[in-house]
Amino acid sequence: MRVPLSWLADYVDLDLTPEALADRLTLLGMEVKAIERWGSDWRSVVVGELVAVDPHPNSERLSLARVNVGDGTLREIVCGATNIAAGQRVPVALPGAVLPGGRRIERAEKLGVVSDGMLCSGDELRLTTDAEGILILPADAPVGRPLADLFGDVVLDVDVKPNRGDALSLVGLAREVAAVTGARVRLPRAEVAEEGPPVEERLRVEIEEPGLCPRFVGRWVDGVRVGPSPDRVQMRLLAAGMRPVSNVVDASNYVMLELGKPIHTFDAAAVEGGRIVVRRARPGETLETLDHEERILDPETLLIADPRGPLAIAGVMGGAASEVSEATSSVIIESAIFDPVSIRRTAFRYALRSEASLRFEKGQEFGLAPLGADRTAHLIVAWAGGTVARGRVDTNPREPEPVRIPFRPARVNRLLGTALSGAEQRELLARVGVETEPARGEVRVPVARGERPHDVVAAGEEAIVAVAPPWRRDLAIEADIAEEIARIRGYERIGGTRPDTPMPAYRRSPLGVRDAVRTALVGAGLAEVVTHALVAPEDLEAYRLRRPVPSLDDPEPVATPIRVTNPLSSLHSVLRQTLFPSLTGVVLLNLRRGRPGVAIFEIGKGYGRGPEGPVEWWRLGIALAGAATPPSPLLPRRNFDLDDAKGLVEHVAAALGFAEPRFTAEADEPLFHPGRTARLEARLATDAAALGLVGIVGELHPARLEALEIRDRLVLAELAVRGLGEGWLEPPKVAAPPRHPTVERDLAVVVGETVPAARVAETIRSSAGPLLRRLQLFDVYRGAPLDEGERSLAYRLTFWAEGRTLTEEEVEAVVAAVTGALEREVGGRLRS
Amino acid sequence: MTRQLELLRDETLAAAAAAPDLASLERLQIDVLGRKGRLTAVLRGIGSLPADDRPKVGAVANAVRAAIEAAVAERRETLRAEAIATRIAGERVDVTLPGRPVPRGSRHPIPETIAAIAEVFGQFGFVVYEGPEVETDVHNFQMLNIPLDHPARDLWDTLYVDLDGYLLRTHTSPGQIRVMARERPPIRALLPGRCFRYEAVDASHGFEFFQVEGLMIDEGTSMADLRGLLDEFAGALFGAGRATRFRPGYYPFTEPSVAFDVRCVVCDGAGCPACSRTGWMTILGAGMVHPVVLQHGGLDPERYQGFAFGMGVERIANLRHAVADLRYYLENDLRFLEQFR
Repeated sequence: MRVPLSWLADYVDLDLTPEALADRLTLLGMEVKAIERWGSDWRSVVVGELVAVDPHPNSERLSLARVNVGDGTLREIVCGATNIAAGQRVPVALPGAVLPGGRRIERAEKLGVVSDGMLCSGDELRLTTDAEGILILPADAPVGRPLADLFGDVVLDVDVKPNRGDALSLVGLAREVAAVTGARVRLPRAEVAEEGPPVEERLRVEIEEPGLCPRFVGRWVDGVRVGPSPDRVQMRLLAAGMRPVSNVVDASNYVMLELGKPIHTFDAAAVEGGRIVVRRARPGETLETLDHEERILDPETLLIADPRGPLAIAGVMGGAASEVSEATSSVIIESAIFDPVSIRRTAFRYALRSEASLRFEKGQEFGLAPLGADRTAHLIVAWAGGTVARGRVDTNPREPEPVRIPFRPARVNRLLGTALSGAEQRELLARVGVETEPARGEVRVPVARGERPHDVVAAGEEAIVAVAPPWRRDLAIEADIAEEIARIRGYERIGGTRPDTPMPAYRRSPLGVRDAVRTALVGAGLAEVVTHALVAPEDLEAYRLRRPVPSLDDPEPVATPIRVTNPLSSLHSVLRQTLFPSLTGVVLLNLRRGRPGVAIFEIGKGYGRGPEGPVEWWRLGIALAGAATPPSPLLPRRNFDLDDAKGLVEHVAAALGFAEPRFTAEADEPLFHPGRTARLEARLATDAAALGLVGIVGELHPARLEALEIRDRLVLAELAVRGLGEGWLEPPKVAAPPRHPTVERDLAVVVGETVPAARVAETIRSSAGPLLRRLQLFDVYRGAPLDEGERSLAYRLTFWAEGRTLTEEEVEAVVAAVTGALEREVGGRLRS
Repeated sequence: MTRQLELLRDETLAAAAAAPDLASLERLQIDVLGRKGRLTAVLRGIGSLPADDRPKVGAVANAVRAAIEAAVAERRETLRAEAIATRIAGERVDVTLPGRPVPRGSRHPIPETIAAIAEVFGQFGFVVYEGPEVETDVHNFQMLNIPLDHPARDLWDTLYVDLDGYLLRTHTSPGQIRVMARERPPIRALLPGRCFRYEAVDASHGFEFFQVEGLMIDEGTSMADLRGLLDEFAGALFGAGRATRFRPGYYPFTEPSVAFDVRCVVCDGAGCPACSRTGWMTILGAGMVHPVVLQHGGLDPERYQGFAFGMGVERIANLRHAVADLRYYLENDLRFLEQFR
């Protein structure tokens, strides 16, 4: 809410500087977002007196004014406006002046006469909306004074929270100021000279939906002259961020800003028989609203209607047909209370959220209805003339009982960590208009309200009864009273203590596995990335796997995506199912920005729409592209390929204590290179029946690389990792190093190219038995003397036995068994 | 025989002095002193000498052996020293060249900042929980005392999904309900995670961002305890002695509600664009858990009380690392990321 301080000062004395006031309001919970100097964009604009106004010698449309700006000379200024006359005081922009929007004024020749400055309209100064005539200043405006001194203002932008609808008004904020300074709040004058006929002869109001419109106060004014509001009023409305319209409409807006009470005015001639009905819309009804949109009305919509049909959408927007215009002479003032939920729904339904609906939907003080009607009538008479009909139409003149909230000062202290006496608490509450009464006998203290109201019975001597002022609709429970006490006393005075309450039981961090993976991969030189979970639907489809990576301890992935129904952009409108699209995006971004190599990983979620609701699963994604090494004379240049990613997968498995991963060829995923892609799995070191890690690792399909304009390769991996969502590392159980000598044998196995190395290794392992402790591939060889289509795989086998030295015969027997098995199972022979 | 020995000595000493390298010296030593060496052969003849001559010749033989051994040893030392000197001369490098590069990775500032926050609160007994990102309207709003059609919903611009009753969580606060549903007090919980809002992207807003929620509930935790813990937190992250400010805020799920400010880390209170010239930066929102929220968590609001707080991870990371625009975090330009260790 924008608060011009000169206007706020009508309702409360302001003895503080704007900065100090802003600080106090912020500390009171009315956060001041900005302090704006209204008029700070007028430079060298002063008050001038028109000494003479003569016709321009060379133009019929222009006049030549002689102006005194208090510097002892008379300036000649050419002017096109027709509303000026000698004796008036007007704003004068002197040569060198700068007006709002950056417009510079210089001495200039106009049709043969040099104009020594410019007379300003209200619009040129952004003070009023009048762009036709020169702004005529009050006759006592001191000649020569900078305009900013007289009409400049300080505007505070106050962030009023949704629970304090009462403070969406100058009077409401004046009350907050008063709570700080102890000053008195002055309510605006609302007395009405009722010189017309009894209102009942003019206006009848019937409420069909008392639940949606608990109170309707109407007044009637005859004989108004609709025109612009006084300049001073226009200035205030503009400073507060509202556009002046006409004196009658401005009166209702003025009251809304002043009291927080939205008011609507109707051209009475458009209301059939002066009969107003408040009812729901009927099927098929339409209304042209003030913005000249023809709206089809939903039967939920509450209407202000006359016997012929809809006049306005209650609390949200008026109708074009009953709008107050220059032709209007009689006005109906509507000052009503509506159901907040109904107004909010309606405003959303028609996408018509306004200053009025914003206030209605926060709930309104019941007593504002007659006050708002009276104040509006008062202002209309003052600004537009006319006679007010005697009395008001009021459909529910009963004032509600004030809300009484018994509270326990001891409980307030327990909540706040303070030691305030009951008397101190009462004194603090009184400063925001919350009166207190002693509790007589047992009282029910409201601890919670809402679906399950929870009261606690307290004895009279331990409780006090707070009586909420009618505008404070946010006060309902004991904790609300505690907040008021803390707020008025100052949150700053709540001391900082360290808790001395019982500690919860130990709980392992669920992030243990994620941290271990991050440590391993960062240590291996990868950069961790965090990307958007919301991706483009095309990407989601383009990177979909035929056979998704299955989950280990998360729920299984679901193929149906979750779509955002109100996305900001289609690029981010669906929740991702793999990490591939976002990782590829990061790779492309960095390559395009000139990065020679990219090695990244992300730990993130996939999302899907399961039969029983949303499903989320954690995955580890890796992407490698471009240069694998930094430029250095000490390292051979090479680019990332599949083997790097496989090595990283092995590294992660080792870091988490899993067995070595097994890779199997995957030729059937369109996303990937059919000859350079593997499915993989790694079992737990402690339990060969359980998987620790599963996934896919491969190079992007060459056709895709071309489409993405990646020159070399893009290696992608996605893994499901046990414990990634919630898990930790168990400490490894270790064995003593062997005390007896280990024996090593190197075997070079010649097999056909099509025999996977994994099968050769598996054959060696299974045929060697338990004495084989380690198996390492150390060379792959093709070429002479091997045949075409053959390759040699050289393994180092390490043997040892527990508690004794192995004999040559034992080792030879194992090697013989391995040799035989290789021949039988993979057609391999040893190369000697 | 003595003469023979002296001849052998002179010849060997000359050969040792002339040995060009350790290998030839080794060969010379074996040739003379070895089991089948020439000195050994001479000594074997001593047995055939008359008994009276034996001691004298024996003494000469020992002296010859000692002289040869000493000469060989001396020559060995010389040759070793020469060899090392040659090696050193041959192995000289330009030590000012850079070293062999070791792969250098980087931790992303979002999880890293979450870890830093968790470390501080972990010292006060707070443990980590997580909740789903696709949440129910019930958990995200209704159980947090924000009914349907409540004006407070304007505080969160929400992204809705094509699943009835679900949305993308707008904050980590629904985790409060989930923790209360599974744990009995005393509760000290920390809930980090990804959140979503219908929000145009600029330097300080994104439609995806991260929060850390805190929740502490037992029978006596007060607003003064909240202040105390938040001061510890601010001191831990921004330096001990950094001034803080406690002021009223508004959240439907806390009562009283708090906004927590620290002295601007850019201007230290003098007033600058980073703090909108107020000298203060709001780093989190907090408050005493609303009785209705305690009820929805299955707790008796008369017996139990406590506080909750929520902070934007990007905001904290900005202040820790002097980052001015939070778009960098999800953009993942490696020139930005590689600066984090």
